[in-house]
Amino acid sequence: MKRLAGWILSSPATLAITLFLIIPVAATISVTFTAPGGITAPYAEFFASGFQRSVLWRTFEVAAITTVISLIFGLLTAYVVSRCPPWMKSLLIVLAVFPLLTGVVVRSFAWLIILGRNGILNSFLEWAGVIERPLGLLYSQGAVIVALVYIFVPLMVLVLVGVLENIPDDLIQASSSLGATPTATFLQVVLPLATPGLIVGAVLVFTASFTSYATPHLLGGNRQMMMGTFLHQRAMVSFDWVSASTVAAIMVVVIVTTVLVMTRLARRLNPMAT
Amino acid sequence: MFNWASGHLGDIMKKIGILGAATVSVAALLAAAPAMAQSRTFTVSWWGFNGDQLQEIIINPFQEMCGCEVVFETGNNADRLSRLQLRNGEGVDVIYLTDRFSQLGIELGMFQPIDRAQVPNIDQIYDLAQSPQGEYGPAYTIGRVGIVYNADEVAEPITSWSDLWREDLASSISLPGITTTAGPMVVLRAASLAGVDAYADEEAAFARVAELVPNVVTNYNTGSEMINLFSTGEITVSMAQDFTLGSIREAVPSVVWAELEEGSIATLNTINIPVGAAEPELAHQFLNFVLSAEIQQQLAERGVDAPVNTGVQLTEEQAAIWTYGDEMIAGLQRVDYAPMNAALDGWINRWNEIFGM
Amino acid sequence: MTNRINPLLIVMTILVYIFLLGPLIIIFGASVSDTTFLAFPPQGLTLHWFENIWEISAFRRTIVTSLQVALLGTGIALLIGIPAAYALNRHRIHLPGWLSTLFILPILVPEIVIGFSLLRSVNVDLGVPVFYTLLVGHTLLVLPYVVRVISASLASFDFSIEEAAISLGSRPVKTFFTIVLPNVRSGVIAAFILAFITSINDVSVSLFLTGPGISTLPIQILAHVEQFFDPTVASVSVLLMMLTILVMIIVERTLGLTIVAK
Repeated sequence: MKRLAGWILSSPATLAITLFLIIPVAATISVTFTAPGGITAPYAEFFASGFQRSVLWRTFEVAAITTVISLIFGLLTAYVVSRCPPWMKSLLIVLAVFPLLTGVVVRSFAWLIILGRNGILNSFLEWAGVIERPLGLLYSQGAVIVALVYIFVPLMVLVLVGVLENIPDDLIQASSSLGATPTATFLQVVLPLATPGLIVGAVLVFTASFTSYATPHLLGGNRQMMMGTFLHQRAMVSFDWVSASTVAAIMVVVIVTTVLVMTRLARRLNPMAT
Repeated sequence: MFNWASGHLGDIMKKIGILGAATVSVAALLAAAPAMAQSRTFTVSWWGFNGDQLQEIIINPFQEMCGCEVVFETGNNADRLSRLQLRNGEGVDVIYLTDRFSQLGIELGMFQPIDRAQVPNIDQIYDLAQSPQGEYGPAYTIGRVGIVYNADEVAEPITSWSDLWREDLASSISLPGITTTAGPMVVLRAASLAGVDAYADEEAAFARVAELVPNVVTNYNTGSEMINLFSTGEITVSMAQDFTLGSIREAVPSVVWAELEEGSIATLNTINIPVGAAEPELAHQFLNFVLSAEIQQQLAERGVDAPVNTGVQLTEEQAAIWTYGDEMIAGLQRVDYAPMNAALDGWINRWNEIFGM
Repeated sequence: MTNRINPLLIVMTILVYIFLLGPLIIIFGASVSDTTFLAFPPQGLTLHWFENIWEISAFRRTIVTSLQVALLGTGIALLIGIPAAYALNRHRIHLPGWLSTLFILPILVPEIVIGFSLLRSVNVDLGVPVFYTLLVGHTLLVLPYVVRVISASLASFDFSIEEAAISLGSRPVKTFFTIVLPNVRSGVIAAFILAFITSINDVSVSLFLTGPGISTLPIQILAHVEQFFDPTVASVSVLLMMLTILVMIIVERTLGLTIVAK
């Protein structure tokens, strides 16, 4: 009876995920294996096209750059936040949570106002006499990266504050009382202990950037297509479902591989675990 | 124990209430959803362009006439046609498309023939608009694809399709995306500039298209998107359909229509009734309503759509932005969509390789 | 506190916070600007763009749809997620380890792929109406948050109290509602709020799951930005932010914000 109770209680959720997630996603992926021309035909076609390769590569590049910049910003900020007096710490955390709870569309839209040709940045630069004609900043890879960094830094800060708070203060004090400079303490004590957390944060930011839609759609336009916007174009504009499913399958493979490899790495690197 | 538990009954209810906070509203919302669906609805699929004016001129009076609620599906041609195909022709009662896409819809078997007896106003419209694609939907407006530009920003007037390649227009043009009505026409123009047949020598045609890259800021997918690009100053030149001109000039008054020596390209916008329309009778009424001289007159005067009804009378000033009058209509270039639709898959890939990389 | 922080780091942190909050302030400025153009600083002030939200029927309709889907989806996710979280903690030894992984799958699979697959399988192949497919999508989207957050608060619950109640003759179901649920109240509220906010802001799952007359607010915002570059979108954004602030104040009052940070 007891043995069954657990299964019964978890069965509605299990059923929902099986029926509405596993089976539909598996169906999407299996479409690419039953296409005419053999099992690998859609993939061969994907990688044969210079354009489609460039979309995949751009997506990797944008996600990787976003992750690295977010890591640097996030780590520095989280380090300061975690060393602040308690009242200030909670204020700073609230200020970081707030953008996180504001939607991705709203936060991408903000950069449309800032980077547009009649936008604030251009009008400021013109006013300051730096430029004579407004610059075309939108619809570029840089615009997409700036907005993605903006979107994911709060997430990184929150993850890393949690990690850094768990590092015992004694360790840091011991390090400095033994004569280590703050920089040495940071590099030799804090950083190794924070590595697993850094990896978790990096995986979150990388996967979310890799699969983003709204930001590249608004700030990249048609000429900076990424996997998410490309999937949408293939499915709804070109109406080519096999090709869209191929894009979907590649996204799933990249994400699942990244998560599996990195979580394993994080576990291995965790000095607290051993 | 029993007493302890029952004594806390109120408390328990409160705790369940937390769980049920959502479920209560759930019940209320579920009750509300069908109630909304109960009144007769009529679904229109269109671009969402000029929405406010169309609401006022067409939808409000039509709702009064039919005693129904009109709901919309909006999006560009390709998106809406894809969704219609997904639903096997169900879900909308009338669909506005440009002729390139209605041709595609007809080839896909998505539309039903129009019962012309139920649409007497068809007799009042131009001959070429009455049945441009056989027994299917009539055209409700006629337009041109050409070039628009901001005369204040572009030093030398644009007078030919070849001006798109001019060096002084670097980073200032928006081209329609290849999956839009006007997109493939870029390829046709490039081909004729290169002196080749676009279908026979794709290579040469697209080599010419590739030379446009330094001038192009971005590709647009909807007319509204393009107007937006003008009003935000991202572009000063665009290849466009003339029905967008009124709205562009509202945003940026210095934008003008270029008089091209090679002539503009004609487009007809059609309204079709999908095979799965739930209200075919209302759909025919809607068609008749939209083609009436009265509505066409209002649309033309307010700068929304060029008229096809021969009973519409416009002053010279009102007609200036439209494709209007026999002479102008005779001077337009026509495009044969059948070979274009057939070649399109290859074109999309080549286009993406040029503009997407 | 005990060890000083490098002033350079503090300056960098301040810059990061300006980077994080500046754009939101700019949106606020744009929403009350009386120019059609999004100019900043605003030339003059107006609330016209807030009125405009209610004048555009597409916004009115999608706000209702978004609220419906967020409340219903979160409600269903709580109904199926709470028993699952309970089972994962209470009956852990009888359940395989992969089951808890199963419940976070909706986070692992890219959202846009979930939306596309639901369109293909549930909407097209099974013929389920768009609204219900959208609802299924949002339920899936928020289920992991519900299971995770409630599991976390059940983890600190001492199940021997429940055992004691049952051994004293209380029926298991009643015991769950009288003993267990009240103890994880804060977890349930946190799960509800997180799920609600996730759902109301979602783009990627909803993207493919719209149809005639059915669309969500974020999708409508995307469409509107493409069509009219006027400050109405800024004022909608401000409304959404105010909703978020409201929710955060409620959370702060009832639970303290650390729960969201987890």
